Parts: sequence; structure tokens; C-alpha cells
Amino acid sequence: MTETQAPSAVLPLPHRPRRLPWERAGIYMLGVVVALAIAGIAITLVGGDVRSAYATVLRVSLGSVVGVGQTLNKMTPLLLATLAVVLSFSGGYFNIGVDGQIYLGAIFATGSAFALGALGLPRVVLIPAVLLAGIAGGALYAFIPAVLRAVFAVNEIFVTVMLNFVALFLTEYLATGPWNDPLAGEAITRPIPAAATLPMLIPRAGTHAGILIALGAVVVVAWLLARTVLGYQIRAVGDNPRAARIGGVPITVVTLVALTASGALAGLAGAVEVSGFHYRLILGLTPGYGIMAILIAVLARQHPVGAAVAAFFFAVLLVGSDSLQRSVGLPASAVFVFQAVIVLTVLLAEALRKR
Amino acid sequence: MIPIVSMRGIVKRFGDVVALDGVDLALQRGEIHALLGENGAGKTTLMNVLSGLYRADAGTIAVEGEPVEVRAPRDALRRGIGMVHQHFELVAQFTALENVILGREGAVWLRRSRARAAVQQLAAQYGITLDLDARVRTLSVGVQQKVEILKALYRGVRVLILDEPTTMLTPQEVDALFSTVSWFTSQGLTVVFITHKIREAMRISSRITVMRRGRVVTTCSRAAVTEQELVQLMIGEMSPAVPARDGRLRGDQPVLVIRDLVVTDDRGSRAVSGCSFEVFPGEIVGLAGVAGNGQKELGEALIGVRAASAGAIVLDGGDVGRTPVRGRLARGLAVIPEDRLREGILPGMSLAETLVLGPHHFMFRRGRYDARRAEAAGREAIARFQIVAPDARVPSAHLSGGNIQKALAARAFLLSSVAGSKLLLAMHPTRGLDVRATEFLHGRLRDFVRAGGAVLLISEDLDELMTLSDRLLVLYRGTAAATFERAEFDPYRIGAAMTGVGAAGSASR
Amino acid sequence: MTLLFDAQLLRLTLIVMVPFLIAALGELLTERAGVLNVAIEGIMVVGAVTGFLVTFSTHRYGWGLLAAMGAGAAIAAVLAYFCVTLRASQLTVGLGLFVFCVGLGSLLYRIVIGVRLMAPQIRTLPPLPLPGLSSLPGVGPILFTQNALVYLAFIIAMAVSVFVFRTSWGLRLRAVGENPRAADVLGIGVFASRYVFTILGGALIGLAGGYLPLGITGTYSDGMVGGRGWIALMLVIFGRWTPSLVLLGALLFAYIEALQFKVALVAKAVPPQFLLMLPYVFAILVLIKVYQGAAAPEAIMRPYDREERA
Repeated sequence: MTETQAPSAVLPLPHRPRRLPWERAGIYMLGVVVALAIAGIAITLVGGDVRSAYATVLRVSLGSVVGVGQTLNKMTPLLLATLAVVLSFSGGYFNIGVDGQIYLGAIFATGSAFALGALGLPRVVLIPAVLLAGIAGGALYAFIPAVLRAVFAVNEIFVTVMLNFVALFLTEYLATGPWNDPLAGEAITRPIPAAATLPMLIPRAGTHAGILIALGAVVVVAWLLARTVLGYQIRAVGDNPRAARIGGVPITVVTLVALTASGALAGLAGAVEVSGFHYRLILGLTPGYGIMAILIAVLARQHPVGAAVAAFFFAVLLVGSDSLQRSVGLPASAVFVFQAVIVLTVLLAEALRKR
Repeated sequence: MIPIVSMRGIVKRFGDVVALDGVDLALQRGEIHALLGENGAGKTTLMNVLSGLYRADAGTIAVEGEPVEVRAPRDALRRGIGMVHQHFELVAQFTALENVILGREGAVWLRRSRARAAVQQLAAQYGITLDLDARVRTLSVGVQQKVEILKALYRGVRVLILDEPTTMLTPQEVDALFSTVSWFTSQGLTVVFITHKIREAMRISSRITVMRRGRVVTTCSRAAVTEQELVQLMIGEMSPAVPARDGRLRGDQPVLVIRDLVVTDDRGSRAVSGCSFEVFPGEIVGLAGVAGNGQKELGEALIGVRAASAGAIVLDGGDVGRTPVRGRLARGLAVIPEDRLREGILPGMSLAETLVLGPHHFMFRRGRYDARRAEAAGREAIARFQIVAPDARVPSAHLSGGNIQKALAARAFLLSSVAGSKLLLAMHPTRGLDVRATEFLHGRLRDFVRAGGAVLLISEDLDELMTLSDRLLVLYRGTAAATFERAEFDPYRIGAAMTGVGAAGSASR
Repeated sequence: MTLLFDAQLLRLTLIVMVPFLIAALGELLTERAGVLNVAIEGIMVVGAVTGFLVTFSTHRYGWGLLAAMGAGAAIAAVLAYFCVTLRASQLTVGLGLFVFCVGLGSLLYRIVIGVRLMAPQIRTLPPLPLPGLSSLPGVGPILFTQNALVYLAFIIAMAVSVFVFRTSWGLRLRAVGENPRAADVLGIGVFASRYVFTILGGALIGLAGGYLPLGITGTYSDGMVGGRGWIALMLVIFGRWTPSLVLLGALLFAYIEALQFKVALVAKAVPPQFLLMLPYVFAILVLIKVYQGAAAPEAIMRPYDREERA
């Protein structure tokens, strides 16, 4: 039954890479303004001062080298998660389980760092090994919905959502159980060996090299979708699976590849978070990157380069709302409201303009 | 006499396209009024305006001389105007009875037995027989049409619009329909009969309105015109005669052998049961049959998107029964799919990307997708098939139905040029095309055969099948019930075979 | 075996069944009209928070539940505007609203409650023994000594079933979801039906969310909905868009959830996280079976455009 869902009705946006026309910039600005207005109301309601709050947000996210550095650090997992979503959406698959795959990537990365670190391997071997382990973890985890979809026609939305919860509990088990750091007193594991950690890109700002990996992934995904027959076939399946099938596209293979590769990118995000930022596995490693990634992918119309731009902007929001959490006490997940409002406003404006 | 319906100066635009350009039409009580014209002349659009599905951009409608505003189908129904669309508007999951009473159930609680009695009485009055408790999706097209007509009668319509009601019927069913419709007028009904077939208009109607390119050319009484005059009025010029048939080109070795094929449909029942036939190079084989007799499933099994549960499909000497679609394309199969929107195009992707779907297996080397090559192929297709599109990069969904159909034909020929296709499976290839485009495509199919290819043509249009085919197979309940050689073509005998009345043709080979 | 079927377990099953059942019935009505509401999980979050906050401030369950329904209806109305009037993609908008609601839940809680050391609490809905029936041996304590919402959930299920299959409005609703053009041609208001049933469905989903703090936990915390909305969405498919089968599915999942509490008390050696995974793993296993031969309303996810040319 899943095949009868016309994905073009699912995704109103063309997959074909296109330059973003200037008039779209206005729509995006409108979304931002509405979101800022709502954020202002929220800040006022919790008793904060709007102007100083906004000033703080700008200062901590963009106003200094350290701020930009932190923003880039947040952008890294967001961008990788977005690429995971872009890849799956392009094929018409709704991978809502990016968060779970991030956790599995982080678990595999942490486990391999513990195991291989104990062997005393050098950094040049250890870092790629840890990243590959993360990729494998995410890919394997996404392989479950991929097989269920390809063989049993089970809708991947449900499976990936359920697997998110499973991954969360698995992480909690590892972080409080076998790998627990007894000194920490919370759900985090022991740190991974230093040799398994990513080098710093901007040491002064604490920016690790993960952003380079993420930008590299942008190029790879863009190339895959636009310049390879596989990418063309993924997009064809995403646009009209029945037509693709009659055109001789091997749907089963495309399903397996697109969803598994999507999970691999998510797993890479998890590995980068462990190896570059936290240096350990923690519960709450992803504050919903996978969910935000869906919004970013919609904003960017599944274009990998657009995704990079939008991911940067969402990272600013994320760093900013972190600071709002500390200064005025907004809850961490309030950022979801602002991000969703941007996307809904943009969808609204586009739909109204089309009429 | 005041006309029961009069439409004046009706204008309807779709984007930049003017579909109706100031149309006047008057219907008299108790007449059968044929609305004649080519595809795209605006007949259906005009009636959609009258029945409230479309809103006119300009113009007035009066019922019995009283101006009315028809904003939605319910307004039209209230005025006694009902339409049976070409593609039936039935809820397939409902029973016939539920479809008839839908929206006029009479009470909050569904009382099926009371409703059944009322509908049965109505059916008897108008001479319609059918099983009211059958699920509509299990009914044949002819019976579904009866449900549609009954729906309109149940709502007390005085003006009944029938949109191309004969397209998917056998000649025998057409006869039955015509006698029913004649009976209607004796009951005081006015019938509008939309058709592109001159002969039907001449046979059934009392007056004829001819439309061309969104305008009324003329309205006249049937007695005042000849068929030849109507042809001229419809097309604007004499249509070129069908080219004479070439001599036998047929090769010796079959390019396709279907042997004892069994295919089940989505619900698990046998749609194709023990079907056998062969197609030879150099011939066009037509597959006739009432919709739902296994054509769709046979086509899908041949393409490889539906598994055959028994039997063999031999393509160019090799058994492809278990070969995936791509392998069959490589072995020489090309396809014009049945449903252009659902199975044909990539709506969100460009025309070029739609065009290379299938050919892409053979056009690109080492897994590299070459967008420039695809666009060049797109430009060529636009030029050769006269596809109306600004360029090959336009989103496929922006094309009109006819242009999409042309693009899908272009794609089949592109595939045959890059993969050397030997058999073209053409499923309803000219649906929605105007006369010129249809003739162009027929010409391409003949060229393909002349060059040594073979065509398996599946169509619901018996006229098209008879014009084009060298040989006609009739599919009845999933088997090739009869075969007709071109010399034996006779619509009534073919129609009889389509309805399972005796094996009128020669025994299948 | 006594462990698997003792009275306490079965009683708990009915208590935790309520959110599954009511949310799934809301989704069922929405989908029958041809709209897929994937914001269901988020709407339950908003229902939970408004239900809790209003009950907490007014000390009236009724106001809390009404507020939850109102909030659910309001968000569903936004979804309907996007998907019915503007014909936007139901999945994209639904996911966007889902994210919005998840954030809104914690934001509202923070705005009203502020930061406190002790999470504020309300008393959960009291049992309402049905006179006579509750003293029946065996079934009395399980079936007839429940809170009011348990009874209401069964009543809603029955009402929805009768409505959909036995009334002419139900016939029209199904027609709108299966073939909107056919319905429209007969003068049935496709847009109006879709609005009405999306909003009504949203109200039920909100009610299901509001029940969580009122009927089960007595507190609100982020993440408390915990995938119940997604499971309810799945139950509609499991139940083949039929209320009686949806009820069966809701009972099944409620039983698994109740069982997990029970096992946690007995099998202390098993890490709790593995027990907590149980309903989700079970859901995936059920999904494989659920998808065999499921036929959704045909027009689901397809916006209706009267002037669309076929």
C-alpha cells in the first residue's frame, strides 16, 4: 500500500536542484520575522527582557569567534542529519528515525573507541575507524526499516519512530549500566581515549574538524543525487515509484540503498558528536537533530547546498536558545516552536502565493 | 418554445488556455442533443460548467428562461441537471445502492431496505436492470454506467448529460444504451450526448451541436446534415484518408510468445487464466476486450511489474518470466504505459528526466548521469513529437495530458533507438490525443513495424484497434477467446466475442 | 499464568487503553475524511499540557479535559486550513505541526508553572464504581470500577462505529474519504466535511492527551506521551479504519504496556530499559502483519481540487 502514496503529493518541492530565486528570500525573511515575534512573546511571558535576550542570542552565536565556533559545532550534526533526511526524502522515504540512528552511530563509535583504543592504535587509524563504526551503526539501524519497507511494504515512518524509542532506551542502558562513568552520577559513559577524538579546527573557539566532514558530505550527497544514475533512480522512485518501476528501476535495491545510506549519514553525525564534541556517549546526545533536520530539509527543498545554509541558520537558533535557557529560563525544546513556525510560515506563504 | 436550458456567452479559461470562448447553447425539452467535436474541442468543459463542476469566467445560464447561478454540482442538481462523466464518479468500495442514494439517503439512519425498494421501482420505470447490492468495483463498465444513470434519475434530473458514454462499451452494450436513452425522452427527459463519433451522433440525436476549439461551429437538426458535412465542420478540413496497408511484412520467428499464462489481480483472483498467443515481427497485434478482462494484468505481467503465477513469456527467443523489468527492456521490450499520470511521468522532475526513464539504463556509461545528454534527447523529442513545452527542463507535471501522452510515446521510441527494442507494448497510446496527434502516432507505430518491429496494442477503442491492427485478439475473462485476421474485421462479431457470445472468430492459433 | 491475567493487570490495561483508543478514534475520523493527521503525537502533547495546567489551576477535571479538546481542535484546524484549503502536503505540514506542538508543550508548562524543585501534582481521576455492576464477582472490579474516561472511551468507540457505518452522515463521510469528486458531484460538501472531521478528530486526540496526566500520572513531564500518538496512528491501520478492530488493537497495546509495569516488579534482574523498549519492539513486529492487505481510504493525503483536470 505504501507505493500508492504519490510522493509528489508528499513533497511539494521539486527535487531538481535549482537556484533559489530572490523572491524566495522574502518568504524566508517573513518566516524568521514571525518566529522572532513569537519568540519575543514567549520570552516576555517567562519574564525576560526581549531586547537584551535577542542581543545575547546574537552575541553568543555570531558576535565572537567563540560564538561562531560554537555555532559551527552545532551545525555539524544538524547538517549531517539534514543530509540523511534529504537523501531519504529524495527517494520518497520518510526517515523520521534519524535521531535513533544518531544514537546507534554514537554507540558504535563509543564502543569501537573503547575496544580499539585499548589496543593502543595511533590516531590516524583510530579516528577513521571510529567514524566508520558510527557509519556502520547508523546504517545497520536504518537497514531494519529499509528491509521492512522493501520486503514487507511496511511504512518506514512507524518503524523509524519506534526505533527512536528503542535507541533511546539502549543508550540509557549503556550510559547508566555497563559503560557508565561512576564519577559522573548521571547517564553518561566513561570518556573515550584521546587518540579517538577529532582534532580541533579552530582551537581558540573550540571548533572541531567535524564541520569539514559535514561539508564534504554535502558535496558527496549533491553529486550522488544529481550526477549519478543511482541518484537519478532514487529521485525517480521518490517522484513516482510506479513509473520508476515500469522504467526498470530496481525499487528494492533503491529502497535499501537510500534508507541505509540515510542511516549511515545519521550514524556519522553520532560518531562525530562523540569523537568531536562530547568525547563520550551521553543520554541527550541529540536534542532532536533528526526532527529539526526534517524542517531544514523542507526549507531547503531537499537541496544539499540549501541544506547547508539552512542548517547554519538553525544552528544559530539552537545556540541562541541554549543561551536563552540559561539567561531567561526558556525550556530547551522551545526552539522547536521557533523552528517549526519558520517552516510553517514559509509553507503558508508559498501556498498563498500559488493561489 | 422556451428552451429548458440556455447557455449564453460561456467563457472558461485554464491558466492561459481558453477552453471555452463565448459559447451559446440551447436545449429543448425532450430532445436528444448531440454535442459533437474532437478531443479538446470543449464539449466536456462546457457540460462541466453546466453541471457545476467548473465555474465559468463569463456567461449566463438560464433554466426554463429563468437565469440561474450554478456554483457547485448541487446547484445544478437542484435545477434538475445531472451529468454522467466519462470517468465515472462512483465510490468503488460502496455497493450500487449506496452509490445511488449517497447524499439523498432520506433519513439520518441508513435504512437500506426502504431505499432499495425505492431505487428498484425507479429502475423498473426506466427499464434498467442491475444488482443493487454488488460492490461497484466488481461491476463491469457497462453496469457502472447504469449505476451512474440511476444516480441521476434518483435525483429527479430533467436534463441528463452523458459524456462519451459509448467509449468503453461493446457494440451490443451501445445498442442497449441507445434504446434506453430513447425511452428516456418518452419519459420527458432531455439528454445531452457528448461524443466525437459522427455516426453515433447521427444515429441517436434529434439535434447536433458541433464544437471546435472552444467555440460552437453550428447547431442543426440531424435531418439537415450529412456525415461528410459533419466531418468538415468538426475538423475544419477533410481528414486525410487512412493510408493503405502495406503488404504482409510478417517475419517467421515470433518476437513474443505467451503460453498458458496465468496472472492474478490485486485481490488474488485470476485475471489472466491460461492465455496463449504469439506476436511476429512486422505486425501490429491488437488486444480487444471489455475493460477488466485481464488486459491490464496481462500488460503488467509482460512488463514485469506483476508476477505470473503460471505459464511462460518468451521474448525474442528467451524466457523472461522471472527477468526483472530492466532485463526485459534490454531484451527488446519498449512500453507506452497505461496510466500516463500514475505510471508514466515523473511529475516533479523535468521533461528530460521523464523522457530518459527506462532509456537511462542504456544511455549512460559507468553510472554517471549526464544531464546534458538527457536534455538533448528531450529537445529532440519536443521537436519530433511536437510536444508543447518551453524547453526540456520544464517540470513534467506542467504539461497537458495530450503532451504527456506524446512524451511517453517519444520515450518508447527513444528506448527503441538506444536499446534496439523489438516489441512495443502500447497501452491506450492515443488516449487524450487530438485527431492530428493520433494520426501522427499511428504513423510512428506503422513505421516501427515497417522497420521490422512488432507492436502489441491494447486499447479500449475498437475503432482504433480496427484501423491499426493486422490481427486482433479478443481477450475475454483472461483468455484469448478469438482471433480475427484483418480481412475478417467486423465490429459486431468482434463485439460478440468481447462479451463471450460464441467464438465468432477463427480459433486462436 | 495467573501473573498474565490477574485482576490488577487487567484493570490497569483498561486504564492505559484510554489514550490509545480515543486518539486512534480521532485519527480514524480524520482519515475517513481523507486527511492524514501525522501531528497526532504533538497534539497529544499539547492536550496533555493544557489538560494538566487547566486542571491544576481550576481543580476541575472537566475544565481540564475540555481545554485539552479545545487545544487539539485548534491545532487540527490549522492542519485543516493548510491541507484542505491550501492543499499543502499533509505529511510536511503534519510533521511541522508535530514539532511545533512538542516545543509548545514544554513552553506552555514553563510559562505557567515556572521552575520549581517539586513537580506540581494533581490527583488522578477517581474510580467511579457503577452501582450494581461493580460488585459483580470477577469482572466487577476490572470493568466497572474504573474512572469516567474509561467508560467514555468505550462509549465513543461505539458512537463512532454507529456513526460511520449506520448513518447517512457516516456514508457521506466515507464517500468524501474514498472519492471526494463523487461526493462533491452529489452536493456533499467535501471541504466542510474535511474541516469538521479533522477538527473533531483533533479534539478527540487532544482529549486522549489530556487523559495522560489526569488519568495516569498526575503530573506533566516532557516526553510523557512517549510515542502513544504514533502507536494510535498505527492502530488505525491495524484496525482497518474500523472502530471495533481499533478497540481490539488498543486493548492489545494497553495490555503490553500494563504487562511491562507488572514484569518490572517481578523480574528485577532485567534492566528496566529493556522492559521499556517492549511496546515499541512489539509495535514493529505487529506492523509487519498490519501492512498485509491494508486498504486506506483512497483519497487519503490527496488534497481535493474541484477544477483539477484529470
